[in-house]
Amino acid sequence: MEKVNDNQLKSIPEETAENGVTRRQIIKTGAAAGAVALMGGFPNISSAQNKTLNIVRGTYFIPGAQEIAKQQAAEFGKQAGVKVNADFLNWTDLNTKIGAGIQAGGIDVIELWPVQNHLYANNLVDMTDEAEEVAARGGGFEEYVLNSGLVNGRYLGIPHGNNAGTIAYRISAFEKAGVKHADKGGMDMTWDEYFAVAKECKKMGMPFGQSLGHSLGDPIGFCYPYMWASGALEVGDDGKTILFNTPTFEYALNKFVQAWKDGYDETGTSWDDSSNNRAYLSGKISSTFNGASIYYASKRRDDGGELMNDTHHMLMPKGTAGRYHEFGTQTMGILNNSKNIDVAKEYLKWWFQPENFDKWWRIQEGYQLHHVKNLADDPMWQDDPKMGIFKEIPKYGRLRGFAGNPNEKASLAASKYIVVDTFAKAVQSGDAKDALEWGERQLKRIYR
Amino acid sequence: MMVGSDKQKTLQIYIPLVVYTLLLLFPFYWMGVVSFKPTSDIFDLDLNPFWVQRFTLENYLYLFENTEFASWMWNTMVISIVSTALSIFCSICIGYALARLKFPGSDFMGIGIFLVYLVPPTLLFIPMAQVIGTLNLFNTHWALILTYPTQLIPFASWLLMGYFLTIPKEIEESALMDGCSRIQILVRIVLPLSVPGILSATIFCFTLCWNEFLYALIFMSSGDMKTIPVGTVSDLIKADTLFWGSLMASALLGSVPVAFIYSFFVKYYVSGLTASAVKG
Amino acid sequence: MNSGSIQSENFLDRESSLGVLLMLPGLILLLVFLAYPFFLGIWLSLTDTRIGMPGEFIGLWNYTDLLEDDIFHQTAWNTMIYAVVTVPFKALMGLGLALILNNKIRFSNPIRAFVMLPWIVPTALSSLGWFMIFDPVFSPISWLMIEMGLIESNVNFLGDQILAVTAICWVNIWRGIPFFGISILAGLQAVPPELHEQAAIDGANKFQRFVNVTLPQIKGILMITSLLSIIWTFADFQLIYVLTKGGPANQTHIFGTYAYQIGLFGTEIGMAAAITLYMFPILAFFSIFLLRYMRKTA
Repeated sequence: MEKVNDNQLKSIPEETAENGVTRRQIIKTGAAAGAVALMGGFPNISSAQNKTLNIVRGTYFIPGAQEIAKQQAAEFGKQAGVKVNADFLNWTDLNTKIGAGIQAGGIDVIELWPVQNHLYANNLVDMTDEAEEVAARGGGFEEYVLNSGLVNGRYLGIPHGNNAGTIAYRISAFEKAGVKHADKGGMDMTWDEYFAVAKECKKMGMPFGQSLGHSLGDPIGFCYPYMWASGALEVGDDGKTILFNTPTFEYALNKFVQAWKDGYDETGTSWDDSSNNRAYLSGKISSTFNGASIYYASKRRDDGGELMNDTHHMLMPKGTAGRYHEFGTQTMGILNNSKNIDVAKEYLKWWFQPENFDKWWRIQEGYQLHHVKNLADDPMWQDDPKMGIFKEIPKYGRLRGFAGNPNEKASLAASKYIVVDTFAKAVQSGDAKDALEWGERQLKRIYR
Repeated sequence: MMVGSDKQKTLQIYIPLVVYTLLLLFPFYWMGVVSFKPTSDIFDLDLNPFWVQRFTLENYLYLFENTEFASWMWNTMVISIVSTALSIFCSICIGYALARLKFPGSDFMGIGIFLVYLVPPTLLFIPMAQVIGTLNLFNTHWALILTYPTQLIPFASWLLMGYFLTIPKEIEESALMDGCSRIQILVRIVLPLSVPGILSATIFCFTLCWNEFLYALIFMSSGDMKTIPVGTVSDLIKADTLFWGSLMASALLGSVPVAFIYSFFVKYYVSGLTASAVKG
Repeated sequence: MNSGSIQSENFLDRESSLGVLLMLPGLILLLVFLAYPFFLGIWLSLTDTRIGMPGEFIGLWNYTDLLEDDIFHQTAWNTMIYAVVTVPFKALMGLGLALILNNKIRFSNPIRAFVMLPWIVPTALSSLGWFMIFDPVFSPISWLMIEMGLIESNVNFLGDQILAVTAICWVNIWRGIPFFGISILAGLQAVPPELHEQAAIDGANKFQRFVNVTLPQIKGILMITSLLSIIWTFADFQLIYVLTKGGPANQTHIFGTYAYQIGLFGTEIGMAAAITLYMFPILAFFSIFLLRYMRKTA
């Protein structure tokens, strides 16, 4: 038995001995007891862990922003004398991590997407005082921050703006399709007009592209606004009545189905958040809904600025019920099961100081919209007029689940991709009515 | 007798073999091609995607300069080796007990261990995270070293039990007569005779450890503690952009160690499986 | 252990006590890290727990509710296709591979290691390779077919219902072939050559020898490998999570991905636990089948 054990443990690197358990001990006590002995060794780690601050954020598309955030975390750690783990996760895995962190601990500071501050309201530390300090220093929060950042009048995390999505397009293609002032950007179009351009562009071999796959960014960012603009809601303001399958929406969805055939790249049913970026950047499509990441990437291409100069932005087109964007603020929150709430608060207070925050914010060239009014006139906005339109987006912003609360039901509907799948079903089968009935049934199950 | 001439052999063996190899290895070829291309070429639709036009190592360099790939490799290595060792130790014990010893509940244990194996990780990981949290193991190698065996022990025990059954009982019985204790028999007689079986179980465990994703994602929180699959996915997919070249480079480099081990031990792997699965 | 050495010898030599002792290390690990979370999972499925919100006992509500959920119906159906329908393909192609590898070939060890790659490379990573191969815009397959003049626009591999199901099933088969191949190869090598020689003397042709000699010998391993493969694929997650996340319109959702979506994005972990537990009886059925089979042969 000893012999086996010995062979086993030769492969354990010396590192493990640090916990105060030597190989010999494990061998002597046998594996069962060894496991217990190891457990005995763990407090070592845990006592160190009390002084560790675990920060989890999403990855930043702009490498510099992530680099700065990482450096700043380390800098804070040095000043405060704590060990800081700053982790940046790809967006799809972020939810998993947050869920596990809330259930089981292990995370202190967390970057929350819009809606998540509402969703996890019971598990976040109230940061109202800290948030209001940030607001006061910055000349007050922007309107959209007040609408989406407050949960029952409290801030459960300090808002730090969000990256907004809108329509990016190729100026040359739009001009050829007869759009006036395409080079100026910011056209005020209706969905009908937009689809007409799509048809022209597809004839030229450069269709529009839209993600309708299972991805939480662009598909939702496109389908919800189209639904809202067509006079439909998931649920009314009573949080019960489903207002999804309306005649105006059916009419509009039929139009979309037609436009999909006439003007879109029909492989879009499998696209995710990244597909349209790739398609656009390779010149395959002439317009898509996306964050500023397409434009940002085009600026950095070694094509002599060709694509950058040919790219511009406009707001979401208008429908019969108006113009909408799916938009709200992100927040930096602290989980209330954290063992280091004080350190975490210190960190956030420190990070939101203008000398730290603004550095991180400016490097993103408008990719991350500002949270406080003072930054609206920041010289950074002068650098690139093509980014100016992004500042308009918040005016049209609504959260998932509108006109109900952005609560767990809204999140369940989004996680089941009910609205997105209604679109996907409609374009797959060509039967908008049937797809809408399916969507309505699903929503009724959620909002019962 | 089996194969007549060289020509026939080519026709019957080598041609199908080439077809199989192409089919099974095409994705790796493709990943290799992508990993040696500059990003602009990857997305240039005018270029032949099956070939590298402008060779570059920048994707590999990116891995080592801008990510913590070396740490991921080290973590994956340490966790896989220790976790495999732990699993094999437990599995040898369980396998031998189930194969040779009668003890209260031994029948039930055999089935029970197999049944727990059916519990999918997708169900377990939230409660599991709670256990890990309670033991204060987050972000330590131990979190994975102690949880992976639950995925490995059931299958490895079953494999080893099958292997132990192939060893003639008479050898052990005569050793017992000679006054050897059961443990001595296990260590001195059974184990040396079971090397192929143990090796195939080891390779099996190692592979699964190396591949695991979900637990590694949840239990490890800092960049330098990640494993290769998790690090690759979380560091090379940035917001809505995928770093294809480096993703593929990382995927390939991350596969090398396992492939290397297989090329050495595949012979034992086969013979270990042969004995335990066929006769067992 | 010094003073009581005689006693402990006796203790360790008694089958019952030694048996229990040997089971202990593994059992402890399994109890703490598997059985406990598992029972917690069962409990969760009987509650309306959400992430961060302790739930209340609601009996079998989650289970009955799922029976009315047509996304769940679709998910169950997809899972059956994904796990069961792919098995004959894996088995046949694996058998073919094994028959080839069972010959004397040059470089047989490296070749064997190479063809194992689909199975040994982390699924999270190889699926990313396939993800790019199936890319709606950059697919090399589409490119080739367009070059050859077979089609005019890119194939919608992961966006069309039939193509998407075929694509994920294919990647699943691709990953499974080597496991079947190497296991069947192990079986083939256990076939005593004398049997073949005898059959050849008796005048059996190649095919007859395969059916009458080889097949009965590898039947057992074929059975076990198939059942293991079904069990593993039922609980799959990574592959689909990378390729489609269940889309388009839920046409590729399987238990694992649907539960993950509901539990982690929709925060309903009670419901998610119920989804995964629906797998359990099906898996238990297959494994009891497997265990009984193994017993009979043993």
